[in-house]
Amino acid sequence: MNLIREIWQSIVRRDPLTTDKGKSELVFLNVWLHIHPAKVKKENLRFKHSFYLGFITFFLFIILVTTGIALMCYYRPYPPQAYQDMKDLQFVVFMGPFLRNMHRWAAHGMVVCVFLHMCRVFYTGSYKKPRQFNWVVGVLLLLLTLGLSFTGYLLPWDQLAYWAITVGTNIGSYAPFVGAQVREILLGGHTVGEAALLRFYVLHVAVFPSFVILLTIVHFWRVRKDGGLSRPVWKLIPRRNEKLVTIGAPVETVALNVAAASKDKTYGLMEVVTGKPIFETVTPEEEEDTVFSYPYAFVREAVVLMATVTTIMMMSLFLNAPLEELANPAKTPNPAKAPWYFLGLQELVSHSALLGGVVAPTLMVLALIAIPYLDRNPSRRPADRKFILWTFTIFVVANLLLIVIGTFFRGPGWTMVPPWVHVVAGAE
Amino acid sequence: MERRLQQLFFLLSLVAFMLILAAAWQANTPSWKTYQKKFLALESQGEPNAAAKSAVLATPLQIHQTLLPGLQRVDRCTTCHLGIDDPTMKNAPEPFRYHAGLGPHVSARFGCTICHGGQGLATEKTAAHGNTQFWQTPLLAREYIRASCGRCHKEGDVPNVPELAEGRHLFETQGCRGCHKLNGVGGSIGPDLTEEGASHRSPEWLERHFLAPNAVSAGSAMPNFHFTKEQARDLTYYMLSLTSEDMGTYFSSMRSIPGPSYGRQLFVEKNCIACHAIGGVGAKSGPDLAGVTTRHSMGWLDEQLVNPELVYPGSSMPEYDLETNARKALVAFMSVATPEDAKLIISGRPRALSLDDVSIEAGKQDFSRFGCVGCHGTELQGGVENPNAQGGEVPSLLHVSDDYTKDEVIAIIRNGRVPPIENSSAPPPPLYMPSWKTVLSDEDIHHIADYLWSKQQPKKDSW
Repeated sequence: MNLIREIWQSIVRRDPLTTDKGKSELVFLNVWLHIHPAKVKKENLRFKHSFYLGFITFFLFIILVTTGIALMCYYRPYPPQAYQDMKDLQFVVFMGPFLRNMHRWAAHGMVVCVFLHMCRVFYTGSYKKPRQFNWVVGVLLLLLTLGLSFTGYLLPWDQLAYWAITVGTNIGSYAPFVGAQVREILLGGHTVGEAALLRFYVLHVAVFPSFVILLTIVHFWRVRKDGGLSRPVWKLIPRRNEKLVTIGAPVETVALNVAAASKDKTYGLMEVVTGKPIFETVTPEEEEDTVFSYPYAFVREAVVLMATVTTIMMMSLFLNAPLEELANPAKTPNPAKAPWYFLGLQELVSHSALLGGVVAPTLMVLALIAIPYLDRNPSRRPADRKFILWTFTIFVVANLLLIVIGTFFRGPGWTMVPPWVHVVAGAE
Repeated sequence: MERRLQQLFFLLSLVAFMLILAAAWQANTPSWKTYQKKFLALESQGEPNAAAKSAVLATPLQIHQTLLPGLQRVDRCTTCHLGIDDPTMKNAPEPFRYHAGLGPHVSARFGCTICHGGQGLATEKTAAHGNTQFWQTPLLAREYIRASCGRCHKEGDVPNVPELAEGRHLFETQGCRGCHKLNGVGGSIGPDLTEEGASHRSPEWLERHFLAPNAVSAGSAMPNFHFTKEQARDLTYYMLSLTSEDMGTYFSSMRSIPGPSYGRQLFVEKNCIACHAIGGVGAKSGPDLAGVTTRHSMGWLDEQLVNPELVYPGSSMPEYDLETNARKALVAFMSVATPEDAKLIISGRPRALSLDDVSIEAGKQDFSRFGCVGCHGTELQGGVENPNAQGGEVPSLLHVSDDYTKDEVIAIIRNGRVPPIENSSAPPPPLYMPSWKTVLSDEDIHHIADYLWSKQQPKKDSW
């Protein structure tokens, strides 16, 4: 019995969870959990502050990696075997449809949640100093998510995949000087073919996921280092002194109140320096407002994880991922549509190739990246940010509107056809 | 609150676990297993004792499939259609009934979908029968099944399917290639028909279309050829057999090599004796064919028949667009042909041809092979309706020499021409002369011009 206890102790190496020390050690002695602070602000745990959208996105990514690796066991990135493998998944692989459905719905879910997460961060003003750079990392993760979804779109090698990628890469080729070359490098040729499928596969299973993992680590790390989740807007103290000092800055050096050395204290290798840190710090009043991550934060995350997993499973049980006929370069569907999240772009392209396909998306991405540096207003309170909130809302609504029009209101020849009018496809 | 959240976590975990079980149950109870159990029950009825019965019932349930790797086909139909090759099942209910009359075409070697259509990869009834939105070739209706024979047996008379040969003959003689491409040869006014048998169009649609093109696809430029019901059926059969899947080659190892008698038939049909002699009997423009199979390899002869100019630059032999099997048959005939054969064949012809006649003969071949006859008629009489063109129809070619020089005609064939319009406010005429310079060589065009000039008739209004 003692041996078992000893083995257990050698694994967890912490005091019992009934003590505060044990609760702290659970977090910072564990490599997986130490990305959390030992204690978190109570208000930050409130669902209505973050809607746990970042967590949901992360959990969807975990589902995607897991199901994706399983799918790789059944997939050959070569036409037309790729399509046959889709059929095998559908008809003969045990739980194959469930696996593919989970991957498909989690992928769409991730695109949606990344976007919603961005909106939440914007509306709460959480991209402001000192969190500017983490917002940029977030925008890059949004672009990578779109890239992952886009490259994955081609892999089933059906008509839907083939023509969505043809249209999608055509939009990219409108860029002056480099557009055509970038398209050619991406496709490994002038049209979507064998080379394109292999390249998209490599990007989808190796390149993009690696970058997502690396940037996610940076993203999480910065959340911690910037002072944890931003305070809920309703907890902001009006006209609070926002002045922050860099570590080691020569001016305004304030002596730190270092407790006298005692036998009860142990020291790590952290250097004791003077000056206030750049990140948000906790005032003694706020300290009162914190709780241990265990169990308060962990149980909430666990609930969100299981809610995400069950939702995706539920969808996968009843909704089948689409699979059309084998890709046929000689037979263009009318209209040929890009993946849904690019339909706003396609809608713009239908009005002007250069403006809609190049200028608008470039400006959109640049504007998103520049937001924390252009918005000089230090206040995070909605009452002080009316103009920028309205601007962003118009931007979001316009994007959604274009996507809705492109998805539901565009028929053959990209003419306006309301979704309730039935068009006979392929009639000659 | 915390207690509630913990409870919620365990509840959600339980739900997730149940969902996995549900998915596993869903995956473990496909409809094909139900069919296999029914089949085993049916089979066990015939067993004499309980031990044998339970042995049959204990047969593991598994997916049966026929792999045709060269064709990228996997047919899983026999997963449910379990009695296909078991004659004792001839009165069994579907899907277990015995498939009578297969002859050598057993499903273990040929699969099912190359004849029946449907989705071989599927293991669920609706999807397998191809009655889903995204499958090109649903099951062929019973009355059209025999058209599938033509997918492998592309030449000659297919036993019990006279429709195919009739349809092919109509296609080649009515000038369909004037507007439609088939295997890369033909015009571009109508759709390419190379893959017509693999397209989503139903046989009924095709048949109605042949009877009245405008009735099923409004505004179609295709003239009404006034086919009979039988002819429409023949053409539909031929259309259904068209696919670029290389089935003939794939199965050729399993097929009998075409015999010399079919080769002889082609030799007469293609008028080979007009240029060639056999053992000194016949014309002298081409080489004597006696012993040609000992002078050249099978491969050389096959290539020569595909593309004479490639093997023999400057050869005046026309291309005949022969299928693999037709070429094999011709070679088979050449290996056994005797001067007596040549005499018999010549006796069916009025006279041997001169060098000029060779050009005219080649022109005649081209005129029908590339489908000029579709609009201009088999006797150059024209007359196909073309609303709003001058005269309202495609002009006859029997009097072109009255209005044009040979070079002008050659230019028109090369570059194409839009017919003069009668009424500029009405829609333009649907038919026009396409440009042929990318399809036909200059030599072909000269042959055609020679052929036209050989057919010119004196002016109607001349004294």
